[in-house]
Amino acid sequence: MIALLTQDPQAPVNYVANPAPAPVLDKWGQLPELASTFDHVDGLFYFTYIVCIFFFFLILGVLLFSVVKYRRKTWDQPAASNVTHNTPLEVVWTVIPLIIVMVMFAWGFKGCLDMTTVPHEASRNTYVATAKQWAWDFKYPNGSTSTNEVWLVVGKPVQFYLESTDVLHAFFLPSMRVKRDIIPGRFQSVWFTPTITGEFHLFCAEYCGKDHSRMYAQAHVVTQAEFDKEPWNPPIDETNLQSLIENGKRIFGQQCVTCHTVNGTGSVGPTWKGLFTKQGDQYVGRQREVIEGGQKKTITVDDAYIIESIKQPDQKKVAESPYDRNTMSSFANLDDKRIKCLIAYIKSLADN
Amino acid sequence: MTTNVPVIDAHPTVPGLPKNYLNCSRGFMSWAGTLDHKRIGIMYLIGTLLTFLAGGVFALLVRLHLWEPHGMLFTNEKYNQIFTLHGAFMVFLFVIPAIPGALGNMVLPLMLGAKDVALPRLNLLSFYLWLSGAVLATLAIVLGGFDTGWTFYAPYSLYTNQAVVTIGLAIFLLGFSSIFTGLNFIVTTHKLRAAGLTWFRMPLFVWAIYATAILQVLATPVLGITVLLVAFERLYHIGIFDPRLGGDPVLFEHFFWFYSHPAVYIMVLPAFGIISETVSVHSRKPLFGYKLIAFSSLAIAIISFLVWGHHMFTSGQSTYAMFAFSFLTFFVAIPTAIKEFSWVATIWKGSIALNSPMLYTLAFLIIFAIGGLTGVILGALNVDLHLHDTYFVVAHFHYVMMGSIALAFFAGLHHWWPKMFGVIYDETLAKIACGIIFVGFNITFVPQFIMGSQGMPRRYATYVDEFHGYHQVSTIGAMILGSGVALMVYYLVASLLQRKPAMENQWGGVTLDWQTPTPPPLENFYAPPKVTHEVYDYSTLDLKTLQRPVS
Amino acid sequence: MSHDGHHSVVIPAPGPEFVPHTVAHHFDTPVQEFQSLKLGFWLFLATEILLFGGLFAAYFYYHDLYPETFREGGRLLSWKLGALNTSVLLASSWTMAMGVRSAQTSQKKKTLIFCGLTVLGAAAFMVVKFFEYKSKHDHGLVIFTELFSGYDEAAKQLPWFKDYDGAMANVPHGHMFFAIYLTMTAIHGIHVLIGAGLILWIMKGTAKGRFHAGYYLPVDLVGLYWHLVDLIWIFLFPLLYLVP
Repeated sequence: MIALLTQDPQAPVNYVANPAPAPVLDKWGQLPELASTFDHVDGLFYFTYIVCIFFFFLILGVLLFSVVKYRRKTWDQPAASNVTHNTPLEVVWTVIPLIIVMVMFAWGFKGCLDMTTVPHEASRNTYVATAKQWAWDFKYPNGSTSTNEVWLVVGKPVQFYLESTDVLHAFFLPSMRVKRDIIPGRFQSVWFTPTITGEFHLFCAEYCGKDHSRMYAQAHVVTQAEFDKEPWNPPIDETNLQSLIENGKRIFGQQCVTCHTVNGTGSVGPTWKGLFTKQGDQYVGRQREVIEGGQKKTITVDDAYIIESIKQPDQKKVAESPYDRNTMSSFANLDDKRIKCLIAYIKSLADN
Repeated sequence: MTTNVPVIDAHPTVPGLPKNYLNCSRGFMSWAGTLDHKRIGIMYLIGTLLTFLAGGVFALLVRLHLWEPHGMLFTNEKYNQIFTLHGAFMVFLFVIPAIPGALGNMVLPLMLGAKDVALPRLNLLSFYLWLSGAVLATLAIVLGGFDTGWTFYAPYSLYTNQAVVTIGLAIFLLGFSSIFTGLNFIVTTHKLRAAGLTWFRMPLFVWAIYATAILQVLATPVLGITVLLVAFERLYHIGIFDPRLGGDPVLFEHFFWFYSHPAVYIMVLPAFGIISETVSVHSRKPLFGYKLIAFSSLAIAIISFLVWGHHMFTSGQSTYAMFAFSFLTFFVAIPTAIKEFSWVATIWKGSIALNSPMLYTLAFLIIFAIGGLTGVILGALNVDLHLHDTYFVVAHFHYVMMGSIALAFFAGLHHWWPKMFGVIYDETLAKIACGIIFVGFNITFVPQFIMGSQGMPRRYATYVDEFHGYHQVSTIGAMILGSGVALMVYYLVASLLQRKPAMENQWGGVTLDWQTPTPPPLENFYAPPKVTHEVYDYSTLDLKTLQRPVS
Repeated sequence: MSHDGHHSVVIPAPGPEFVPHTVAHHFDTPVQEFQSLKLGFWLFLATEILLFGGLFAAYFYYHDLYPETFREGGRLLSWKLGALNTSVLLASSWTMAMGVRSAQTSQKKKTLIFCGLTVLGAAAFMVVKFFEYKSKHDHGLVIFTELFSGYDEAAKQLPWFKDYDGAMANVPHGHMFFAIYLTMTAIHGIHVLIGAGLILWIMKGTAKGRFHAGYYLPVDLVGLYWHLVDLIWIFLFPLLYLVP
């Protein structure tokens, strides 16, 4: 119990890496500005809101009035009326709310049909969003991929196929009014049409374990011209070390920061700081105890070790709690160029 | 109801002090082995209040952690355990058992004019099942905690390396505790009513407990088998919830909500019952629309079995299922609205005593209006797709569970406290505490409505910056709320030590529970009561007896 | 319990070999006690049905999802052993009913004999069940010794389901049928054992002369419980053994 209530000695690194700016609120200040075509959500939301406020103040008014007017002044004061029922009144307050909620029901159902019926334009522009603990992978219609960031074309209906590799997640774009659970083993999809450009939050809305709150992606809605430049795939100049380092830093921010740090504190996985030290112009890898095939051994960190740790993470596990029991999923989809960037970035951490 | 001549005037003049259920026997075993419904009720009261305080401490830790966007106190893993503990303790150990277990046990047989519940041994077994569940739940914390959320959604609950089997077993036992309590109350209501106490002379608290009991008996077994299946799945991998083995996690959601939606009404119907009593007694006016309220309880009980799918609007159900579940969800709002209107109409032109039970009742009526109305917003299909699993939902069900049910429980506690113990608490402190709780509660949860509609997802250990201000206000509100509850606990405990005697009929109630001596004797009535009047007929109230303090 | 001057109602014993029954203090009449306990027990039976209802719902859901698995799995069960067990349970329901009748007519010896036969029926049922389970174990369909070994993540295999004969090789998720078969029959088996225990307790009370024409309620209730256990098997048998 005591252990439960005290903070972990390892400082928590608990924040989403790359949040979008706060969305602009709509003119009533209740919802984020609508960035898709699903305006019926806002319409019904505010309609119900107004109905609720009306009934709330009606009830509050009657209560306050009664409490002031009919307050018991002497201990033996009887009630001003002993009426036990009033059938017409009861019929009225049964039927009127019934009519109102049936309007809401029909309106909501119609909107829901709109949100679940995928138009042809959307099904011709299909992305795959793969949710895993705790990151988002996106696959574009042309087959290229990105992680924790996704680019969409403004005004172009889009459909997402939703897949999970482990537990339940949910795809939630508040600005688009879109939410759908992602269920391993079940086909799920959503569609919407982004209507304004900008950066938007994409949250995981179904509890999925430890870093649920850090399972975050940024949705960029851009023009077709911007989109065609494939901003998720910036050119990497392999001859320029600075470009490698900068791209490495970017890839770290998209894919690795969920579990690793570069500041020396541990997280789910070990920190990257101190893997290399700089001696003259050379980067020298540190000695590290690992477990391979159940055997404990000491290795020297080098490029090959890092490549292996990215592609087959559980081959050599760091022999240190909690890393010996935490598992990392493979990032074999990173191409050699990007791994080169990451290695350059890791080495650059030794520079200062 | 009630008799022409209040039964309290028929006390036998026993030399010395008449023995009541509190002082008729002494010693540990006279409590631990008691079959008396009142003593069992007191044990439930102590137990559920302790778990409420534990759950409250977890809630304050959750709120303190969220003071900063990156989380102030815990690692994510521990935060997840703590919000899970908060939910599991509050739902399974407090909200579900508290009103039926503590106040239902105490008051239901009194209201029926019975000597005890129909099955006293089963009643004691219910309590011990509850206690075992509480002990196991605490053991699960010692064993490393559990981080699944109180909903135990598969497949995460199958994979996580934590004490899920232990807490599952705890919930299984708590489920049977709840089933046996419900079963007992159904039988008691059917078979042990006093002479002349027809169904439509029963106080509405009895109606509410009766409707609750039907739900407890019919819905809880499904929870039992669900947690058993989760335990089996973890122990030997049946595969029925595990997608790796061909299972469907959505089936778990269906099973879980088939119980847990009716469970919402298991929690809230007894609260409605309490409010029906306090509104009438403290307005000294017959309850408006008695029959409609009674029938609306039954209607809610029945319809509540058919709306579970509204917890799963985002899970990809068929359009037909969405249609039916949404329709019925709106439909179940109607009997609930009828109740709220009837209570307000009861207060209208009453003789309103602004004492602490009534203040808690008024706070309930205001908060429940918000809780119920925001439920209507969530019932709309397209709007729910936006608000589902956000802080809007969190705020909505706290308005219902904490703001309404817990406040109704407090109203009932203050209402029957003099009946239970024969002592009265410090009324001034009680009014102050009620005010603090009301203000603190609203400061806590109004920002959560706003955050939620802006897209703040629930169960987040950390959050993006724009919600920082709302979270801080909410945390401040939680501290105010916590201090109000602490003050309440203080003056209630103090009243037991100071022993300022209560009146025989403290508030001027006319139901049978106010016709026995205060505190009641072991078998409740010195002579079998006979009911000759309609329920809530305040013209029969003998105002002289109101000023007679307990001996 | 102090009775505050109330006198509890006593039902006299019909003969010297019986003992009188004292109605619990909080009931006014024996009829009230009888009806209360009976109503309570029927409600309890309803919860039992709902508990199994969850299992039946799971059965139907997966039968719908993987029909071939359930067809092939059902073929591997021995419908003859299942039928044998069904007749054993049906017969034991009859002996139980006769036991209740004998208690109602204050025939102590007959009550003991019929209850004893019912317990024998329960034992026979469990013996047959044992041989059925053993055959599943030997064919690697439910390897009981490996039941709690966990899921082999790397091999993507369940240690308790090896299917030595390859009988389920052509259907998806072959373990699913046997998992549901095991869970349903095991939970039912536990109910059989509990029922047998209750009948033994009834026999002890009968031997002491507690149950007779004036007071036979516990015999009646245990009889109801036993019929429910039987009834659930009546549904399990065709669903698991005969549906293919």
